[in-house]
Amino acid sequence: MFKRLVRLLRLPIILLAIVLAIPMAIGSVAAQTSTAIRIGVPTAIQLRVGRDTVDAVRMAIEEINADGGVIGRQLEMVVADETENPEQGISAVRKLTTDEKVDVLIGGYASGVVLAEMPHTAQAQTIYLGVGAASPSIAAKVKSDYANFKYFFRVSPVNSTHLAEGLVAFVSGNVAVNLKYARVAIVGENAKWAQELVPTLKKGIADAGLSLRMTELFDPQTSDFSPLFSKARESGAQLMLVLLSHASSDTFVKQWYDARVPLMIGGIDTKAQDADFYERVGGKAIGEFTTASAVRAPVTPKTIAFWDAFVKRYGRAPVYTAPGAYDATYLYASAVQRAHGTSADVVIPQLEKTDYVGVMGRIAFDDAHDVRAGPDYVSVRFTQWQDDGARVIVWPRALQTGNLIVPPWMRP
Amino acid sequence: MNEILIYGAVISSVYALLAVGFTLVFGVARTLNLAHGSFYALGAYGTFLMTTSLRLPLTVAATLAVLIVAALGVVMERVLIRPLRGTGLAVPMVTLAVALVIEQALFLGFGSEYRNVPSFIAASVGVGGVDVSGQRLFTVAVSWSVLSCLWVFVHRTRQGSAILALSQDREAAQYVGIPVDRVYALVMGISAALAATAGVLTAPFLTVQPGMGLMPMIKAFSIVIVGGLGSVRGSIVAALLLGYAETLIAYKVSTSWTELVSLAAVFTTLVLRPAGLFGIRTR
Repeated sequence: MFKRLVRLLRLPIILLAIVLAIPMAIGSVAAQTSTAIRIGVPTAIQLRVGRDTVDAVRMAIEEINADGGVIGRQLEMVVADETENPEQGISAVRKLTTDEKVDVLIGGYASGVVLAEMPHTAQAQTIYLGVGAASPSIAAKVKSDYANFKYFFRVSPVNSTHLAEGLVAFVSGNVAVNLKYARVAIVGENAKWAQELVPTLKKGIADAGLSLRMTELFDPQTSDFSPLFSKARESGAQLMLVLLSHASSDTFVKQWYDARVPLMIGGIDTKAQDADFYERVGGKAIGEFTTASAVRAPVTPKTIAFWDAFVKRYGRAPVYTAPGAYDATYLYASAVQRAHGTSADVVIPQLEKTDYVGVMGRIAFDDAHDVRAGPDYVSVRFTQWQDDGARVIVWPRALQTGNLIVPPWMRP
Repeated sequence: MNEILIYGAVISSVYALLAVGFTLVFGVARTLNLAHGSFYALGAYGTFLMTTSLRLPLTVAATLAVLIVAALGVVMERVLIRPLRGTGLAVPMVTLAVALVIEQALFLGFGSEYRNVPSFIAASVGVGGVDVSGQRLFTVAVSWSVLSCLWVFVHRTRQGSAILALSQDREAAQYVGIPVDRVYALVMGISAALAATAGVLTAPFLTVQPGMGLMPMIKAFSIVIVGGLGSVRGSIVAALLLGYAETLIAYKVSTSWTELVSLAAVFTTLVLRPAGLFGIRTR
């Protein structure tokens, strides 16, 4: 009986093996002989930040290829899902550098994942242009061990220290002035980027003459925020500065709105930057402000053109990783063009000399390969969700498209 | 203080819904169902899908979601659990496999992003000087109503008597002609419906994402261990204890410490009273 079964299945199994083996062999040969410059994109593709990274790199590649490519070669993209898990991130960059033999990596989202990936990209001697992770520890590694980690450059976002400084500037320059809210509470997820940001934020708050009433970092898996809201309210704070990236911003905002918590909220909230965030939470984000690297404003001559092209192409507004990924692709192409090659040894010096006006602003790197922040470079911008889901730019003043509002239940 | 009382009641009622279903299946069918948290997730996602894609009214979508998950529970009992009953670890393993399959299916179907389920009651209500969302108060009311209905069903109906009989002595129940398999399927359906109801009620104010079933599963398991495996009364008491203990810790210490409460309770119970508060000590 068993022998008969084996006889019956032998031919289909052999055929199946051949069918599976042919494309793998072709793919392998193609990967080794392709003349294209291969861009590996490790990112969390299940998240909007990841999908926008992929879509923005694709957009830039198509534009560059349409212009004849770089040093006579076309660009092509290979994507690997790094999720939000360091182990998956290591697998993703290993797959891209070892199996796919990419020339450069553009991507990254969670700081913890990127930090775990860095030793492996260094070992593979592959340039990695980060577009999603904000931890200063990433660039600190470049500074402390340049020989090993010189392959990493952060194109976006500006690091969390700069984000904290930008947040303090906005609160002291706008919220405290216009709404007279000077008593603040810091409420954020217990993640590396937030832990690193809090000391700068606290110092900035003290230096700006604001009153810090409470600081609490919670587990990113927290799903009930009522106790936090209660503590913040009892602390006498008027404004909750939120630090949210991996935690559920949706749940946080919904519970804040449902309980009519008498505190304004805003800060660094990654998911609140999603174009569909207001709709997703049923309009309960009204009054929340957040940092926004991607805004439809004349930051540079390229900004509005990129925004409109992205919306036209993908039917949605980009989140913060998109302009970073788009600019990263262009500035890498430019560095390769100037270096006349793709070897990391010749491209890195060119990347270090970058002075490029992109979608986000003027991009240049400091000696830790971190994107420079400030009014002359990439500045920290804030938008606020207002009535009917309008996203209004409220900072900096030069780009402001409207005034700050308070949530409906806090209006006089 | 009022906040602790109110929010403790909300979380306790959700825990009670979850734990009663979990312990019912164990007490009656001797089935350790590790897919219980998946029923919770499916209730939430079912409501989300039917309100967004099919544009059904929320109440209709929620009712349908609970009924569909209950039917899924019955099918799961008939197809996967019944053939493996009496084969040791096979049943927990197959339910664990179902839980993983459901989580991956939700992940592939909906992505890892958080989803929004609208509230049954959007208004905020002032109770004892505390502004509480109407949805949370609705959750308390519905949870205890459902549990009361379950109590009436078990103690006042013929099918309920069959469930009680099976929970006490399976062989004796068989001798008097109780259709064992049919009652097991019924209990599984009720258990799935209770978990789905918890998912539907909490979805508007808690997290809706593919991994959302894990924590409720752990909580239900912890409560059932503390209350005593198979004891409905024990589960309700333990749900109140854990719900209020977590809320107290969250308010008075830190939200970061709440998850340790259930683990500490399980550890203490296993050391001091392994059968749980209302469990029956067996040799």
